[in-house]
Amino acid sequence: MADKLCMVVSEGTFDKAYMPLIMGTTAAAMGSEVHVFYTFFGTGLLKKVAKPKLPGMFRLFTGMFSKRMKKVGIPGHDEMMQQAMDMGVNFYACSTTMGLMGIKEGDLKPGVKVLGAAAFLKLAGEAKTTLFIG
Amino acid sequence: MCPMPIVHLAKKVKELKSGQVLELLADDVGAKEDVPAWCSRTGHQLVGNEEEGKLLKFYIRIK
Repeated sequence: MADKLCMVVSEGTFDKAYMPLIMGTTAAAMGSEVHVFYTFFGTGLLKKVAKPKLPGMFRLFTGMFSKRMKKVGIPGHDEMMQQAMDMGVNFYACSTTMGLMGIKEGDLKPGVKVLGAAAFLKLAGEAKTTLFIG
Repeated sequence: MCPMPIVHLAKKVKELKSGQVLELLADDVGAKEDVPAWCSRTGHQLVGNEEEGKLLKFYIRIK
């Protein structure tokens, strides 16, 4: 059976948004099964169009930073998430925080599943590695 | 740029047959460690590597 990697994303800022995508895509490329669970402020990243901002005061420089990323050849957030999905990475929205953050199932990107904490913990229990990104 | 060399590599390998050798060119310094790690994880064989300035070349035999 393939190794399993689980990640929990609880923040929606730029850095926390890209980290699970880079890690997840790489792990999938290495043959691992990948499950990423978005909760609290991370949940918004699963919306059809997500534009994460740099954290704190740096949010003002997000546009500049995005341009630089483009120049270096790093794809945009949504494009990268789609690429991860194509590689087989599984994305989940936390059912409880969806209500809290005012996000409906129809707002989510196609392919994102809604999951409760118990179901995610079952996956994490079977995983060799679980990372918390928050 | 990390992780693109590994992602492209994983996609390309699926199109190749066992025994074929793939040449990978990368300009990401991370690839120096990433490519051998990917090979040891997936079981494909790294048969050689070269450095030409900033360009890294890897030769991988498909399992």
